[in-house]
Amino acid sequence: MTTEPAGPTARPRTGAGFGRLLVAVYAVLALAATARGLYQVTTKLDEAPLAYALSLVAGVVYVVATVALATNRRTPAWVAVGFELVGVLTVGILSLVDVGDFPDETVWSGFGVGYGYVPLVLPFVGLWWLWRTGRTPTPAPTVG
Amino acid sequence: MVVALAVVVGALCVALAGWALWFVVADRAVVLRQLWGAAVVEGVLVVQAVILGVLAATQHDVDGALFWGYVVTQAIVLPIAAAWAFAERTRWSSVVLLVAALTVGFLEFRLLQIWGVV
Repeated sequence: MTTEPAGPTARPRTGAGFGRLLVAVYAVLALAATARGLYQVTTKLDEAPLAYALSLVAGVVYVVATVALATNRRTPAWVAVGFELVGVLTVGILSLVDVGDFPDETVWSGFGVGYGYVPLVLPFVGLWWLWRTGRTPTPAPTVG
Repeated sequence: MVVALAVVVGALCVALAGWALWFVVADRAVVLRQLWGAAVVEGVLVVQAVILGVLAATQHDVDGALFWGYVVTQAIVLPIAAAWAFAERTRWSSVVLLVAALTVGFLEFRLLQIWGVV
């Protein structure tokens, strides 16, 4: 599963340590958003096609982020988590000013208020974690 | 009866979450006893699904797809956490069980909303 070389100076795996908690929370959100998106798209897509399609896309992106973080795939993780940050900010602002096709029906509406603002906080935590685990640890100084 | 059952589910979830939190603090992995506890919660969920399913089919008007979506989602959370507990023998399995128990409890609350009693 690993895509990083092992060894004392290797970068920490994104799914290890605190990453476990991150993966677990992402998995819950992926489940919630995907289930909601599937429900909306299959039962009432014609009511608000854009919002409901976006709802399903959000769910799929959370699934991608969950799998990427769990299996230490950094590039897809950066893209997916970055996409979520852009998504939650964009949809959050759009739902605030109430324009067009964004009724309060997606996981990102109102900056994720329906999900305890977890969708807003999670991308920041995710990006911080990717940045933190992305640095190669400094080797311990040798005594000369 | 629906509310009483939901209170039972909620109380069991809080108890399981508390147990898992204690293990997180104590830096321990999930033990088999906790998974038996999770199995009890899962059993109550199945009973609840049958009762609500019968009520929905006979007398109670509820959005079927939404309702069953929540029932199914709620039912698969704890088995995933249990599988995780077998694969991951560190405190992080306790963190996952904690998150899972809280999720099931929250989904129970949403289920009551969908049912129309809160």
